[in-house]
Amino acid sequence: MLTQQILNGLISGAIYALFALGFNLIFGVQKVLNLAHGAIFMSGAFIAYYGVIGGLPLGLALLIAMVSCGCVSVLLDRFGFQLLRKYSHADAEFGAMVISIGAGQVLTSLAQKASDTKVLSFPFGTFPVEFFRGLGLRISLLQITIALLVVVLVALLAYFLQRTSFGRQVRAVAINPRASALLGINSRSVFSITFFIAGAMAAIAGVMIALSFNSIQFMMGEPYMLKAFVVVVLGGLGNLAGAVVASLLLGIAQAMAAAYLPPGMADILIFATLFVVLIFKPNGLFGGGLAPAGVGRQ
Amino acid sequence: MMEFLRANQPVFDFFLLTLGFAYSQQVVLRAGVFSLASAAFSCLGAYGCAYLVVKAGLPVAAGVGLGTLIGGLASYLVSLPLARLRGVYQAIATLALVELMVALALYAEPITGGAVGFNNIPKHVGTTELLIAVLVVIYLLHAQSISRIGRGFDALRQDEYVAASLGVSSRREHTLAFISSGLIGGLFGALQSMYAYNVEPNQYGFGYMVTTLAAIVLGGRRSLLGPILGSAIMILLPEVARPLAEYRQIVVGVILMIVVVLTPQGLADTFLAWLQHRRARALAPMATQPPGGRA
Repeated sequence: MLTQQILNGLISGAIYALFALGFNLIFGVQKVLNLAHGAIFMSGAFIAYYGVIGGLPLGLALLIAMVSCGCVSVLLDRFGFQLLRKYSHADAEFGAMVISIGAGQVLTSLAQKASDTKVLSFPFGTFPVEFFRGLGLRISLLQITIALLVVVLVALLAYFLQRTSFGRQVRAVAINPRASALLGINSRSVFSITFFIAGAMAAIAGVMIALSFNSIQFMMGEPYMLKAFVVVVLGGLGNLAGAVVASLLLGIAQAMAAAYLPPGMADILIFATLFVVLIFKPNGLFGGGLAPAGVGRQ
Repeated sequence: MMEFLRANQPVFDFFLLTLGFAYSQQVVLRAGVFSLASAAFSCLGAYGCAYLVVKAGLPVAAGVGLGTLIGGLASYLVSLPLARLRGVYQAIATLALVELMVALALYAEPITGGAVGFNNIPKHVGTTELLIAVLVVIYLLHAQSISRIGRGFDALRQDEYVAASLGVSSRREHTLAFISSGLIGGLFGALQSMYAYNVEPNQYGFGYMVTTLAAIVLGGRRSLLGPILGSAIMILLPEVARPLAEYRQIVVGVILMIVVVLTPQGLADTFLAWLQHRRARALAPMATQPPGGRA
């Protein structure tokens, strides 16, 4: 029973990781809290749903969702966050938050219109329902696929950031956009690529969540947005490895809370933890946060 | 004027409540504190007042007063740790606080009524009371803004290091900003609970935040005129744009984005700055002219 809960927790933690990694990547590179990330995640699930309804195979629908969410994310950057760069730091910080709230609202309202405020679900058999048993555990084919997909994607992202020339450019821009511009790095294309990656990963996470709970709804992004906050604060804002560990921890903690605590208690504990961690270790449990958390602005 | 107000009284009441919440949000932003916790303070004020009046049988005035104090006390306690954080960390921490409040209100069913909300509150507050509260708050905020405290807020928002070097204590001023926000938030939360017959947890969640932030973005973070203009736009937009009513959320979202990109300081503040600039330019040539020079 306990190990089963841990396993389920790890799988949902893996999905949180996909979602939170994109959010954290954007923060690390651009120092922007993208509050529209939850809405982009939701759009991913919607696009894949309408693709499947329209007769496309799930894989193709997922691909289309990834590309379109990536593009939405890039557009948000180009015609939103980038235009704020010319203003003062405080104005830009506030403005970025408001722009992303506005964009999120536009996307959620569009989804609400499209779905008529109904809860949608994929037609039966979109993903084969199969279960495997062993060692007293029960795991579905979907869960195995999710786990493999997340491991591959996280490994690819780590390889991309640590080993390729473009990844080095991304890290340089994250540390200092001005100095990297002087060294000949095109920071605009770096921003676009990171936003595209973040959007595409959010879309995958959206489709995975939609498949595992078999429900798609226009407000589904909001709780994940809040979970992403918990994850990035525990793992450190801008710290990608920390985000993966924190996501898995959060997934396990949630599965445990759902199994052993009265309903409603889990949220209270999670947000209280977030609050306490921010007060005592604002740079995350593992340190290495990129933004100055303490007194004084940049 | 009075006829118009009477015909649109519910809209006007709603405007006054939104305006109160917007002031609660503005006063922290003005001091350079990135707090979104107003919703949490209003939530406490609303539930506190409703509980004291309905369950404990206190008079309404005492309930509203205590609701205000609860908001103020909570904001002081919260400011102890949060005034040390900056920027996005403050925003995330206060967002967490708001979610924590909503989760607690949902969980503590015996006191708050859970998801159904706190119902059957008699209506004690009308337009007059709301208007008086708004005018008092505007007066107090005006007095604050032309005092040393208000100038300290402006300095801290623009550059904390410079402000500190000029002898502005960021610790003290940020705490004051939090407490002002908590008192105003608690007051209008309490008034809303006495006005609207019921209190629900989700009233004080994400939607509250979007509306108040939008009002301030449209208006401005500095002048007291800003929230009035911003709240008026936010309230009147759906009334004016009836044909667009279905797409209201989308229109609001798009307008928010456009306004922030074009005037990140808000419409009212940008307009006031422009007026000041123009007046300064009009005065400048006269001041530099030698007496008895050109005719």
